[in-house]
Amino acid sequence: MSFETRPPDYRAASASILARTPEVRESVGSATRSFEQRRWDALSDVDSERWRDWARDVKTHALLHLDRYLEQAADRLEANGVHVHWAPDRSAATAVLDEIVQRHGVESVVKGKSMLSEELEVNEHLISRGVEPIETDLGEYIIQLLGEPPSHIVGPAIHRSLDDCRRLFHEKLGTPMDADPDALAAAARRALRTRFLLADMGISGGNFVAADTGTVALIENEGNIRLSTSVPPVHVAFVGIEKVVPRFEDLAGLLQLTARSATGQPIGLFVSLIQGPRREDEVDGPEHVHVVFVDNGRTRLLADERGWEALRCVRCGACLNSCPVYRQTGGHAYGWTYSGPIGAILAPGMLGLEGGMPLPHASSLCGACVEACPVRIPIPELLLHWRAKAVDEGMEPLSERFGSSFFANLAERPGAYRAAAAGLRIAPWKAASRALPVLGDWASQRTLPTPSPKSFRTLWREGIE
Amino acid sequence: MRVSLFVTCLGDQFFADAAADAVRLLRHLGVSVDFPEAQTCCGQPAHNSGHRRDAERMVRHTCRVFDSAEYVVAPSGSCASMLRTHYPELAPDVGGGIAERTYELGQFIVDVLGVTKLGNGLAGRRVGVHHGCHALRELGVEAQPEALLRGAGAEVVSWAAAKECCGFGGLFSTKMPEVSAAMADHKLETLPDVDVVTSADGGCLMQLSGRADRRGSSPPFIHLATMLWEGARG
Amino acid sequence: MKREEILGRIRSANSGRENPEHPGPFVSGLVPEGADPVEVFCERFEAVGGETVRVADRASAREWLERFMADFDSVSFGVHVPADLKIVSGGAPSAAKVGVSWASAAIAETGSIALSSRDGRRVQLLPPTHVVLVESDSIAPTLVDAMSRWRDDLPAAIGLHSGPSKSADIGQVMVQGVHGPGRLIAVVIDGRSSPAR
Repeated sequence: MSFETRPPDYRAASASILARTPEVRESVGSATRSFEQRRWDALSDVDSERWRDWARDVKTHALLHLDRYLEQAADRLEANGVHVHWAPDRSAATAVLDEIVQRHGVESVVKGKSMLSEELEVNEHLISRGVEPIETDLGEYIIQLLGEPPSHIVGPAIHRSLDDCRRLFHEKLGTPMDADPDALAAAARRALRTRFLLADMGISGGNFVAADTGTVALIENEGNIRLSTSVPPVHVAFVGIEKVVPRFEDLAGLLQLTARSATGQPIGLFVSLIQGPRREDEVDGPEHVHVVFVDNGRTRLLADERGWEALRCVRCGACLNSCPVYRQTGGHAYGWTYSGPIGAILAPGMLGLEGGMPLPHASSLCGACVEACPVRIPIPELLLHWRAKAVDEGMEPLSERFGSSFFANLAERPGAYRAAAAGLRIAPWKAASRALPVLGDWASQRTLPTPSPKSFRTLWREGIE
Repeated sequence: MRVSLFVTCLGDQFFADAAADAVRLLRHLGVSVDFPEAQTCCGQPAHNSGHRRDAERMVRHTCRVFDSAEYVVAPSGSCASMLRTHYPELAPDVGGGIAERTYELGQFIVDVLGVTKLGNGLAGRRVGVHHGCHALRELGVEAQPEALLRGAGAEVVSWAAAKECCGFGGLFSTKMPEVSAAMADHKLETLPDVDVVTSADGGCLMQLSGRADRRGSSPPFIHLATMLWEGARG
Repeated sequence: MKREEILGRIRSANSGRENPEHPGPFVSGLVPEGADPVEVFCERFEAVGGETVRVADRASAREWLERFMADFDSVSFGVHVPADLKIVSGGAPSAAKVGVSWASAAIAETGSIALSSRDGRRVQLLPPTHVVLVESDSIAPTLVDAMSRWRDDLPAAIGLHSGPSKSADIGQVMVQGVHGPGRLIAVVIDGRSSPAR
């Protein structure tokens, strides 16, 4: 489902989540800290510095030769019997979907978890065409029943507690209010099993595409993606163009590093390596496989001289888990599909500065994300890059521009700087906090600090004993 | 050995006594300290908010002021990291020289002076250490302050959120005050039973103490320089 | 054409940029030199909740299957399960309580079983219990090794199964057997000619 706010509403949206649904902070905080611990443990077993260098270099090489590898991937997929489509933007992607739905007479769809399909609002589109999409990942199923967008790249429902799920399943599936998680999962399994068997089409994303073999790789833990891509007669994979990697064997490293970074597992419990539709000598599998390569802002980001590095992202969610800002609100505050640190550096590049600011300011620049990133995206540097770009484009408030320039003028003139600083000790603080935006924002949450009785400069001149 | 103190904006105005304690401590350790009076701001607030040209002016000013310094020592991990980590990129012609001579106070005492045993003035004190993010992740300063506190007799109490950001983040604290305060709340909610909380960063201490004060009772928040000087005297 | 539109945007974005080299093959370092891939596979497969049974030969595998199947009234078999191991007549995967598959390989490094679409996909996914017959000779030390072996003869799909189906999406509590099989058993058939190891 779509978001209630957009990225520009971040401050109000985050404040509202903290004030109105404080339990979100609790659920997200405990889930992310536990993900983070598991990631830490899983990477301490391996030579993670070398793994991360390798993964960074594979993704960088692929991105800087992306035209070549995309063409190779498309040619190989076609040779494997896959229908390959190209979608420069959302409307092109949904037009492809319409064509496929019509061609195969599709009425019902089972979906595996795919952030790109969230980005494209595939469900809303299918519903508008009279097609019923069912999310089959348990977390996605929960938020679909709730009518909410995902809150996390890997754990879409991490903002919801066990009790929230009990209430929801009681209402929708008739399970008892005190059902344990196993019983709730069993109820979902029963409800979804017939959906898999009767669906006309399965939709998935794609974690990686190997160019040389035309392989779409998918990672999961429940088996729902294998079912969605194996049981219905038609399979459609929406794949971001940045997901292409050169070699089939590259998947071996990327699958392992992604799983360890995301959930601390050695590998996803189920990995699908899909080359194409059912072969003549095979007893089952989809008759038709469609791969839709989607741009939707990715080439715009690729063209940015610094920002393109964010396209290395493998969507493991490690930066979200490590981020103390994300931990307070979960993903909904960010107002679009990709939240947390990675969302904050994708947004201005993919949506444009107008659409993506102020997400790059939704960070204290603590640097926890860059320690977590398996492909070494220099996230804090890119946050600064987008902040600077917004300033260069004249997007920040005039008061801030003049304030910054005024302060720089002072800082270059030590006499004036000292005189201004001395003013701190005679300023009416409480009154100023009401009048000045910066002080007021500080004072809204915290007690204002009291200046030292004498500045250090004064102490120095008086002599320090 | 001569150290030029970079007191930093917050150190000058809000932690003047702690900065004076830094001077006392360095002198006590046999270092001569000077204070170039033309120093102002390192430029970090401008840099972090995207005002690169304004930042560069302050970077160049600071480089000029400390041009002849043997060592630059700041009682702030964040400002020290600005000089050490970001100056070479912001002013490639002059920034590299100052970067390699700059240290956070505790880092300087342990890594350059080779001292971890200051005195016994903190005997019996239970201390919570907040690691400022830039000291921790950009400068790699983690063991040094704890070693100095322990060396002075303090018990450094384990704090699950010791390395999680307090939510200060400079102007972040005023651009996103609600989330920033929630981050401080997590630090305070997880704070173990301690006599005092300390940090090398005044900004973090302002954030934590300001929020703690708003929420009610809490232990005192005292700058690392003051703690160490107290440790050295006993 | 949309393909050319996207490729054109990529070329213009990348024009004048460096062309860094591919870093070469991935080496995990997770399988020590000289380690027995069979031992490593069993250990790692069990660590994530998979069950392993080691049998000396096909005859013993048959005996084990006969005992195990006594508890189940409906079974479905993969296409490549040898005739002598199809101990009862199999049915459709959607109605079976157990699926029995023939692994095309297993991987020690990740504790994974590789299942080919040629063996049938539904049998691997629909029954709540999944028994996989794995010849010990087919256990590769690493995923890279296994993949280089497959690359020239790829089926429509390969599934790597590395444990029973799990989810922590409900209130962060781990549950087993959500959509895929909740029980996964690897029957490792020793294919080595010499009895001494």
